[in-house]
Amino acid sequence: MIKVSNLTKRYAGHTAVQDLCFEVARGEIVGFLGPNGAGKTTTMRILTGYLPATGGEVYIAGHDVVTESMEVRRNIGYLPEHNALYTEMRVKEYLRYRGRLKGLGRKRLRVRVDEVCEQCGLEHMRRRIIGHLSKGYRQRVGLADALVHEPELLILDEPTIGLDPNQIRQMRDLIRGLASRHTVLLSTHILPEVEATCQRVLILHQGRIVASDTPSNLKELLVSGDRILAEIRAPREELLSEARAIPGVARVEAHGDGPWVAVEITLAESVSGDLRPAVFDLAVRHGWSLRELKLRDRSLEEVFAELTREEEEPTAP
Amino acid sequence: MRAFFTLWRRELGAFFLSPIAYVMAIFFLVVMGFSFWFLARVFTLGLVGVPVMSQLFGSLFFWIPFLIVVPVLTMRLFAEEKRQGTIETLMTAPVTDTQVVLAKLAGVFTFYVVMWLPTIPYAFILHHFSSQTAPFDFGPMIGGYIGAALMGLFYLSIGLFCSALTRNQIVSAIMSFSIMLLFFFGGFLHFLEVQPLLKQVSGYASSALHMLEFSRGAFDTRPLVFYLSSTIFVVFCTVRIVETRRW
Repeated sequence: MIKVSNLTKRYAGHTAVQDLCFEVARGEIVGFLGPNGAGKTTTMRILTGYLPATGGEVYIAGHDVVTESMEVRRNIGYLPEHNALYTEMRVKEYLRYRGRLKGLGRKRLRVRVDEVCEQCGLEHMRRRIIGHLSKGYRQRVGLADALVHEPELLILDEPTIGLDPNQIRQMRDLIRGLASRHTVLLSTHILPEVEATCQRVLILHQGRIVASDTPSNLKELLVSGDRILAEIRAPREELLSEARAIPGVARVEAHGDGPWVAVEITLAESVSGDLRPAVFDLAVRHGWSLRELKLRDRSLEEVFAELTREEEEPTAP
Repeated sequence: MRAFFTLWRRELGAFFLSPIAYVMAIFFLVVMGFSFWFLARVFTLGLVGVPVMSQLFGSLFFWIPFLIVVPVLTMRLFAEEKRQGTIETLMTAPVTDTQVVLAKLAGVFTFYVVMWLPTIPYAFILHHFSSQTAPFDFGPMIGGYIGAALMGLFYLSIGLFCSALTRNQIVSAIMSFSIMLLFFFGGFLHFLEVQPLLKQVSGYASSALHMLEFSRGAFDTRPLVFYLSSTIFVVFCTVRIVETRRW
């Protein structure tokens, strides 16, 4: 659906995107993840034909974005970063205008406007002036606009930015619901979002792709040893030395003082297996109370931080 | 073509949803109305021989609102889209840059024409209540309207061009106002004793002179060609400016 090869974009003085290569298959939901300024918006603008690339090629549904721009635009539904709408228009009026602009015929237009209003939960807002709507509803109007001409590909630039937690959840559900009929490329800098919505993540940093995989694989990619968190009521020093004695433990750190000691136990890399029973046995043996014992899951957040940090180091002077 | 009409309709519609457009239309009509009342008064005082219609199009009462209304009507066109960010959704829809520019010009021109419509009864009122036939003639009236339309088209395209240059509406209005004044006052060089070449060139481009000619009922093809070709040139430049984001 999308084929990007060696995409480069240079603005006067700096390179926003460098040698980007990736493909997105039909029906996938792909998340574009990166800190602000990583080149997500630039890449999306190039995909939609709004900006030209400095170098490289982009094909969307088999059409070159430069030479067959009109074909490409007909195949794309785009929700830009700040979701700008004509605030003086009414919802239905706006969607009809956009649909007509995108070449829908009269009958088809009427049907589609009703369909997207229903799909995006705008049935009761049709007659409202866009400027009077809340941010969440405006975002839905933007999405309805992106959907109105039934594009094969949806490009959504930070679709949940500025929404409250409820609206974010509704937006995510909406996007997930689109996957059956559309290919979706969405960008975000919020990690739980890609974990919740995307099948595949492309992590972008300083204009390059630093990782591309499923959210769960990405987590495994950088797991260098399981960690266990435990809170035990025990004398600190004794607990530390006893914990270090457990076979397979590489490092033990204790936090907090007072009767309850929180220990973080890191396994040696060579060891696989669960050490939680060993910790439990240790507590039982000494008659210590145990109030928490869990495996520490690495969040995508940490993976992300690690990936983007690695990239930064070589460039530092 | 369909995209053009869709865009044109939205541009025209935007004027009717904007308070600035109403304020400008009212300002224009108040001044024109005053101008008409003033001329009718002069006429009733017995100063026979005053060419009322040509005065309506050629006097300062025409030029002052014209020079203010045009920059204000056009300043929004591109600047607003850029500031709001709607330019991005507009330009990623399957429409060409040329279609967008032409539709915007057509939209503002249509509004401009609509703004003039209430002045049409002036001539008929005068005609109806005047016992004399001499001071009134439809020729100058039609000439005056053609002149106002042609000149409007050209100056509106300048305003559109300025709007495409910036994201700030005020900057756009001041730029187009300055360019229009330059043209307007440049035309007066014709009336001064200057080099023959300069005199001739400024005569060709003098809007004030053109309006005087048109509102005398004299139809000359030179201003027609001048305004149409200049408009085409400015539209061409505007399309290039809109394209610059791709450079």
